Amino acid sequence: MTVVATHSDPPRRKRVFWTMDRRDSLVGYLFIAPQVLGICIFVLLPLALVFWYSLHEWNVLARTFRFTGTENYQRLLSDPGLLKVLGATGIFSVFLVVFNMSLALLLAVLLNQKLRGITIFRTLFFSPVVVSLVAWTIVWSFLLQNNGGLNGILQVVGIEGPNWLRNPTTAMISVVVVQVFKNVGLNMILFLAALQGVPKELYEAARVDGIPAVAQFRRITLPMISPTVLLTSIITIVGSLQVFAQIAVLTKGGPGMSTTVLVYYLYQQAFEFHKFGYGATLSILLFLIVAVLTFVQWQMRKRIVFYEK
Amino acid sequence: MKSDLSPRMKVAVYGLMLVLLIPFVFPTWWMVTSSVKPISDIFAFPPEIIPSRFDFSTYRQAFELQPFAQQYWNSAYIAAIVTCGTLLFSAMAGYAFARIDFPFANALFMVLLVGLLIPSEVTIVPLFQIFLGWDMINTHWPLILVPVFGAPSVFATFVMRQFFIALPKELEEAARVDGLGRFKIFWTIALPLAKPALGAVAIFTFLHSWNLYLEPIVFLSSPEKFTLPQALTQFTDAYGGAMWNIQLAAATMTAIPVLIVFVIAQRQFVEGLAHTGLKG
Amino acid sequence: MAPVTFSNVQKSYGVHPVIHGVDIDIADGEFVVLVGPSGCGKSTLLRMLAGLETISDGDIVIDDTVVNDLEPKQRDIAMVFQNYALYPHMTVADNMGFSLHHRGASKTEIKERVDWAAGILGLDTYLERRPGQLSGGQRQRVAMGRAIVRDPKVFLFDEPLSNLDAKLRVVMRGEIKALHQKLKTTTIYVTHDQVEAMTMADKIVVLNGGRIEQIGSPLDLYDNPVNQFVAAFIGSPSMNFIEGHVEGANFVTGDAQLPAPTALPNGKPVVYGVRPEHFRLDPAGGIKAEVVVVEPMGSETQVTMQIAGQNVFGIFRERVSARPGEVLTLGVDQAHTHLFDAGSGLRLSAA
Repeated sequence: MTVVATHSDPPRRKRVFWTMDRRDSLVGYLFIAPQVLGICIFVLLPLALVFWYSLHEWNVLARTFRFTGTENYQRLLSDPGLLKVLGATGIFSVFLVVFNMSLALLLAVLLNQKLRGITIFRTLFFSPVVVSLVAWTIVWSFLLQNNGGLNGILQVVGIEGPNWLRNPTTAMISVVVVQVFKNVGLNMILFLAALQGVPKELYEAARVDGIPAVAQFRRITLPMISPTVLLTSIITIVGSLQVFAQIAVLTKGGPGMSTTVLVYYLYQQAFEFHKFGYGATLSILLFLIVAVLTFVQWQMRKRIVFYEK
Repeated sequence: MKSDLSPRMKVAVYGLMLVLLIPFVFPTWWMVTSSVKPISDIFAFPPEIIPSRFDFSTYRQAFELQPFAQQYWNSAYIAAIVTCGTLLFSAMAGYAFARIDFPFANALFMVLLVGLLIPSEVTIVPLFQIFLGWDMINTHWPLILVPVFGAPSVFATFVMRQFFIALPKELEEAARVDGLGRFKIFWTIALPLAKPALGAVAIFTFLHSWNLYLEPIVFLSSPEKFTLPQALTQFTDAYGGAMWNIQLAAATMTAIPVLIVFVIAQRQFVEGLAHTGLKG
Repeated sequence: MAPVTFSNVQKSYGVHPVIHGVDIDIADGEFVVLVGPSGCGKSTLLRMLAGLETISDGDIVIDDTVVNDLEPKQRDIAMVFQNYALYPHMTVADNMGFSLHHRGASKTEIKERVDWAAGILGLDTYLERRPGQLSGGQRQRVAMGRAIVRDPKVFLFDEPLSNLDAKLRVVMRGEIKALHQKLKTTTIYVTHDQVEAMTMADKIVVLNGGRIEQIGSPLDLYDNPVNQFVAAFIGSPSMNFIEGHVEGANFVTGDAQLPAPTALPNGKPVVYGVRPEHFRLDPAGGIKAEVVVVEPMGSETQVTMQIAGQNVFGIFRERVSARPGEVLTLGVDQAHTHLFDAGSGLRLSAA
């Protein structure tokens, strides 16, 4: 030591309980407390209850609540309605994802062109996202009436349109299309951001090498944006399982049960037929489907993140 | 802007976009125009793309048939509270998970992850029972509490956490040396810098609450408690048939204000989404 | 202004120790530079002093107060960060007045202090700008202004110049030094650049692997490094090290002999240390060196040579026109040579 301390020796260190680390941890817990408690009360507790309810026969109108074990699950497996419901849910989700993704990609590619006024187009394509969901659905319902605007226009050009919402096939097409036009703007923007993230040099190199535009798209663009495409497709599938208002307003699950998707069926069983136990069992089924899809998404993301590194 | 497209390609791209725009734009146009047509004209053949006669009484009738002003207020104030609550709690939790070291942080974060995994559709049955037990059925509490603490706000927490992680740590250390405690750092440094992320969260939280449909029809039963999406479906005549022009007038009043805000602030909407959309 | 003491300060992350018991005494008003290679623990020490990292064991004392568990704000220190850490959403004036504002100073007092600091740093015309509109040097000045407005007991600098270009670094080095001479506040400055350490410090602390290698004044370290690490770290270009052994009053390597500074037992394996500037062209010197590369700098000539097959580097005031392969005859300034133990690297003295 080259310099001698000019002051008295320091007092011995006192051990205090509220060290800086502990004080900071306390603040951390305070900050997350509302969110974590909220999740416990409004998500985890109901999740536990939904399992519990699913083991009971519970009819609100008949005021019955008795433990039946796995009876609801047995009923689930033999419910002829459920097969139709799962079929409708599957068809709805697959059609929705395919149509949504292709349209979103097409729009993103178009909007990625450097053209005058492109922002106006972007705004207009995105606008249905911010239109109130039920308002949007009501207008489409109005348009798709047998004597509504769409058939009116078709008739002008000499086509006899079907009664869109009263025919099982066209009803399914209708609910998919209405939902896609409502929300495709979200995926469109995500794809557009991904397209703009592809380094320009790759295209310049390809042009120097004389690679035609279509091949550039297939061999450069698509691989480069594939992580976004994969992730948005899973998000879109999970979202499609939660579609309720559109069905409720457009078709009420009909005609027959042709557009009764799982969430709508759950709602009917629990809140129209007041079978809470069976409704809870259907909730479990929905939960399992969403959980599996989310798990797949997580795995995919991990792999993609790894791949990107 | 310089384009690498040939003039012929430009015309093709513009043409294609104009055709594709029809299903995106025409419904809104049809909603607005039909809402001011007399009832006799709304199913006229050929369809009147531009109304020939006007009847604005539909807008007055919307308020007469239902307590529409009250319902409008319900939707607006619920969405406002949900947005503020979500912003506050998600920013706090996102900040803590990004910046503060505390034991079990990872485990608690996993708890939130579970919240994200469970859409409110799954838990709607027990939630109904819980709110029944709290005597909150036919009140607005469920419509506030569930979004502020459920999956939508967990998503917001993720977005905020990502943002705070990217914020330079030295800024907060400088603030600590400057004499600020955690709370003040959060309020005066972290939150002001988080405006872009908060903006994105606010927009999507507001839209989510504004569009909520399943929860209101499960939890609310009297028309003066209804929110807009639920109210819109109630404009029916004695036989349950839709009173289209009045319904469309109410739909227009529901949709247009948000649409106007969007057009004014479309850059924040779109860029906020592009930046935060995939990070949840 | 205040003295600062580190006594047996330790830090570990889990079981992994990064600071192994450090003792430093810093007198009131002293300018101390902590220097060392990256990962040596110098920034960790500074951040422990600031209160941004906790202390695993030992004590840090500022002005007779143990500050181990005090919040940074209770320690009355000010810190300048490597990337400046200016609040991007506030003006320059607000950035500088921020801490005073949070300590309850009145508006007039804040304005007075900010104007005073801005005057010293030449920032008067930038007060209403935001950090984003400033150049690197200006941001650096604002960061310093933020530190000085409060008149803290201790200034802390964490590699403040490493984001600046070489020319600006020299300018700011002078400004920081001048500022210290004006304010006379105890200053602790962390850098990996030994030139900054040499030019600015009253006292240098050389750190390596979480331990102190040596504490002393710049010239003390330059002239009397305690070991090979300090000898190599301080001074630029670096000291030459030649491996060999002792024979009488000479150091011997291969067929070359160099005069040793101290007498040691014959045959002891040692490392001979001599700085490039302590070679001289001397026909009577008796050291033969074969030229590898000649780099004329104008004011001096730098020559890479080989002595008995080992590379050495020399700086000469003269212009050397030798070609590669030619042999120069050199002498050394015996007083400026060192012998280090070949095993431990410690400097060997006559005792």
